[in-house]
Amino acid sequence: MIFKKDRFDGRESLPVLGRIGWKPMPRAAFRAIATFALILLAGASSLHALDFTRLEDIPIQENGRKKPFLVFADETLLALSGKTSLKADAATLHSVEVITSLWLTPTGWEKHPLILVNNKELKNKIGLDAAPKYFSYDDLAANESLQKMLQEVAAARARNRKAKLNPLQKAASDVGMRLALFEGLVTGRIVTLLPTGAAAWSSLGADDPALLTLQKGLIRRDQAVFDAGLEALRQEQGKEDPHFQADPQKIAVETFYQRLHPFRWAWILYLAAGVCLLTMAGRLAWWGYRAAWMFVLGGFALQVLGFVCRVFVSGRAPVTNMYESIVWVAFGTILFALIFEAIHRCRYFLLGAIPVAIVSLILADTQPMILDRSIHPLVPVLADNFWLTTHVLTITLSYAAFALTLGVAHIALGKVIIGSKPSPALYNYLYRALQVGVLLLAIGIILGGVWANYSWGRFWDWDPKETWALIALLGYLVVLHGRIAGKWGGFGMAVGAVLAFQSVVMAWYGVNFVLGVGLHSYGFGSGGFPVALGFVLVELGFVALAVVRKRRKPALAAV
Amino acid sequence: MSVSQATIPRAKMIAERQKRSVAWRIIHLLGSLQLALILLATIAVACAMATFAESSFNTKVAQAYIYKAPWFFVWLGVLCVNLFAVTLTRWPWQKKHVGFVVTHYGIITLLLGAMVGLQFGFEGHVTLNKKNPPVRQVTANRSIIQVESPADGALYVMPFDASIARPTEKHPRILPVPGTSFRIIVDAFSDNLVKEQKLASSQTGGPGVHLRLKSERMNQRIDMPLAMNGKTPHEEDFFGLASIILQPSLPQAAQSAAASETQMVFARFAPVVQSESEISGIRVLLSEDGSQVTLSGPDSASVTYRRSEILKSPLTYGPAVVMVEDYWPDFEMREGRPSTKSQVPNNPAILVRIQMPGKTAKSKPRLTLAPDGAGITYQLERNGAVYASGHAKVGDKFSLGWADWEAEIAECLPQALVISTTKPGPPSEKGEQGIPGFRARLESPGNPPSEPSWVESGNISSLTNGQNTVRMGYGLELRSVPFLLRLLNFEVPRYEGTETPSNFIATVEFEDLKTGAKKVRTAKMNHPASFPGTFAANITGINYKFSQAEWNPRDLGETTLQVLYDPGWLLKWIGSLGICLGIAMMFYLKPKSQ
Repeated sequence: MIFKKDRFDGRESLPVLGRIGWKPMPRAAFRAIATFALILLAGASSLHALDFTRLEDIPIQENGRKKPFLVFADETLLALSGKTSLKADAATLHSVEVITSLWLTPTGWEKHPLILVNNKELKNKIGLDAAPKYFSYDDLAANESLQKMLQEVAAARARNRKAKLNPLQKAASDVGMRLALFEGLVTGRIVTLLPTGAAAWSSLGADDPALLTLQKGLIRRDQAVFDAGLEALRQEQGKEDPHFQADPQKIAVETFYQRLHPFRWAWILYLAAGVCLLTMAGRLAWWGYRAAWMFVLGGFALQVLGFVCRVFVSGRAPVTNMYESIVWVAFGTILFALIFEAIHRCRYFLLGAIPVAIVSLILADTQPMILDRSIHPLVPVLADNFWLTTHVLTITLSYAAFALTLGVAHIALGKVIIGSKPSPALYNYLYRALQVGVLLLAIGIILGGVWANYSWGRFWDWDPKETWALIALLGYLVVLHGRIAGKWGGFGMAVGAVLAFQSVVMAWYGVNFVLGVGLHSYGFGSGGFPVALGFVLVELGFVALAVVRKRRKPALAAV
Repeated sequence: MSVSQATIPRAKMIAERQKRSVAWRIIHLLGSLQLALILLATIAVACAMATFAESSFNTKVAQAYIYKAPWFFVWLGVLCVNLFAVTLTRWPWQKKHVGFVVTHYGIITLLLGAMVGLQFGFEGHVTLNKKNPPVRQVTANRSIIQVESPADGALYVMPFDASIARPTEKHPRILPVPGTSFRIIVDAFSDNLVKEQKLASSQTGGPGVHLRLKSERMNQRIDMPLAMNGKTPHEEDFFGLASIILQPSLPQAAQSAAASETQMVFARFAPVVQSESEISGIRVLLSEDGSQVTLSGPDSASVTYRRSEILKSPLTYGPAVVMVEDYWPDFEMREGRPSTKSQVPNNPAILVRIQMPGKTAKSKPRLTLAPDGAGITYQLERNGAVYASGHAKVGDKFSLGWADWEAEIAECLPQALVISTTKPGPPSEKGEQGIPGFRARLESPGNPPSEPSWVESGNISSLTNGQNTVRMGYGLELRSVPFLLRLLNFEVPRYEGTETPSNFIATVEFEDLKTGAKKVRTAKMNHPASFPGTFAANITGINYKFSQAEWNPRDLGETTLQVLYDPGWLLKWIGSLGICLGIAMMFYLKPKSQ
């Protein structure tokens, strides 16, 4: 029995896990709660008649922190349906509309297909249609084989809190959590809007005047009544001692951030920069380069703004999960490209960095189910700003530098493939970027060791995450030493930069999502494996093609 | 470092000396880039394989075959030689070599530090509870076998990790018992030993009941045989949440008994303390030969009695009443009951009961059973109040009112013993930890081999062969530290509105055994407590560090701290600094050459 750190992730006591053993609530029960919602929801699309903007920045406490209602709604709908808007009666409803309606006028929603079940095997096992992705609460709550699976999962968890679920059980448990979340919403239990003078906020009572007014406003689609309800709610919130209330500045900043989507605009601007660089050639090249600079700087500024908001809201460095680290690496890649470009003015750095940044940011923007973008409180083991900032920022910046080398190496190899000869200068740029990566990775690994030594005792324990970081470093060292030994030149270095980056992918993504063991368990997740594997295979194919082309034309590509 | 035009005379000199001297040739060979590339590549590949092995098997496999395998250490040794030799090949060093030398020596220093830490340091853990007296032993992360040699009575210890290369009947491990011609043969291993308890009819036993407990929701079934020893009740614990007792007759309802504590005190081992409420804090010591009993307490002076004079007679000690209920000169568990092997005080033990008036017993839910003709009568209590009672015959079932648990009377015997046998259970699920153990037998010349028996980790077992007995223990090594450790307080703050811990804060008191000086320190997440914790100790690593490792959500007065003693700490720091500075110098501080 050797006690390992990962038990300290503390996640076993998140309410989400506690809810798995839920019992389907008799439907009559929550109907009863909703009976005072006298009039049935006439039709979801007519919700559009109301303006919810003023609800969006009302603070709510959820998951260990206080956040704007907008964020709560986005996150909750994402958890329920896997997206932040919902199609109903040919209209698109935004998260705030859906969640507010679920909360205030739940009747009818239990028949609406909005709960995501995307695991085909699970659908097959519990006898659901394979085609649709969404099912209604009623369908799922009445499904006996699903209920049986959920009981099995609960029993397994009761026997062993850390029981590893098989993929099918995991999928069932996810659906179970969605059902519990739905119940929490329609009963209003999880809509904890009221400061109580203690750590935990509470939900509004069934006869709360603000709640009744909001309901009236929503049912009658009366903006004035609805706004009066919001005003009453704000006043009720304001009664409690300020110490227990949300920080209004943080709520304002987070609402701003949530509405703005800075990282989405950033990739759009980077895309514009890439288009300028590639299309404006010849006489326009000078203008294209200028325009690209402007667009990249704009995107970069938006990323800075996004990070400033996240850091202000969370109070920590923005690299605590996969989503944040991907966005951060895109940022770092652009940062290094801008620095090098300012020195060398050669286009290659921008050309290399832009695709990397765009791909990373699009992934982060479009895969919210795999890359969780919400701000969670940190597990205790990470809750140390100094070490978190120095170690994780250094490591991820090294990944960013390597991503830049990947981009530059692609340009060089691409040139070889199309039969032109990369200049020695290009290889020198590649070498410069490699240096930054190697230095930062070495420092990052060592800082990790020092952090581990300081806070847990041991410096190095062959934990998969640290081992793969070391493997990546060794890989890049092989690339550099081989060049010194004269085993290969610039071309070999470019090939090596692409190959060694695969070990970065492994250290960054693979350990958390493929191996799934070790102490860095707080970053574990699942999903995206085919994409990652596809990436690696495409890269290997690309390298192989370049090598073949180079062999055929040794005279041309020789450096 | 590539050779540029300006360094041709130097390159010539280096080439010349290789021609002249064999020593230089060897140095250049050892420091060659080819060797470096091979080393870097093989270490990287080996590590990659190890991580996959860890993912598909477990950490121990990866460590046994790669990370902690002898060949890997040899390889790292070769790496050090290569790193050192390559710096010599550049001799005499120039200004531009500073970064290069510092980096390479940094790696060597770091690896040296790691070796020092591995050789002279140790890692372990200790579980502290607010209610418990100070401890001075911690559990090291190393499993060992402990053997008591019959020749000199001394304890012998050897590292024994059977979970990797499992002993089998074909490949047994043979352990000679020091000082004797006996041998212990270990020929099977199990990760998950289970104790099977059975009720057996016996002339010497008291009434017995076999209770079968079932929960549909938990999908679990537990067999619980109970048998009284004469009129002595038999009490079993139910997951620490409730207790089940078989006694001659049902107790009066709502009886609030004074809290009592029992201590099984050994002359040579740590006592086993069981308490219904707070621990009394009274320490009972038994002399080596079992003749004297010493009582010491938190607020009373210690007193020593002759054991023979106080056996079975109550003593007042401070506010408590202490009674030595039983004595065994050569203690042994036989058929699940304490007994003595001989009248020679080889392993003296006493059973002490301490009554504490004024403190009432904490009331866990309790199921009391009493034999009643062909069946039993039962009574269920919570907080001293009876909420169910009745009569049950063999085959009857009744609900316990603890979640959905239900009890069934499987068997009733008028005279029975509970016989417990240890045997391998089904392989434990991935991620679950069973009790490991191995099968062993004792061989001595001139005797047929003894019956094999299963040795459970964390327990002491006796192997007997004819007249010869060898006592052995298996489990994680206990190490004494030069100070006493006591948990004063443990806090688990939570994130607002949730049960998610935001930190773990243990306040620990250290008492230096030499000087008696006491120091209070806190261990938080990311902020370990250290002892002695002085500046010099922190710098050199001659320091015991305690960091949070595990907590018990059911008992917030308990925490497990990881313990680390690492004299290689300073070397690791210096090495780390050297690597970082060296690389930076190599890349960015090159003197401008023409």
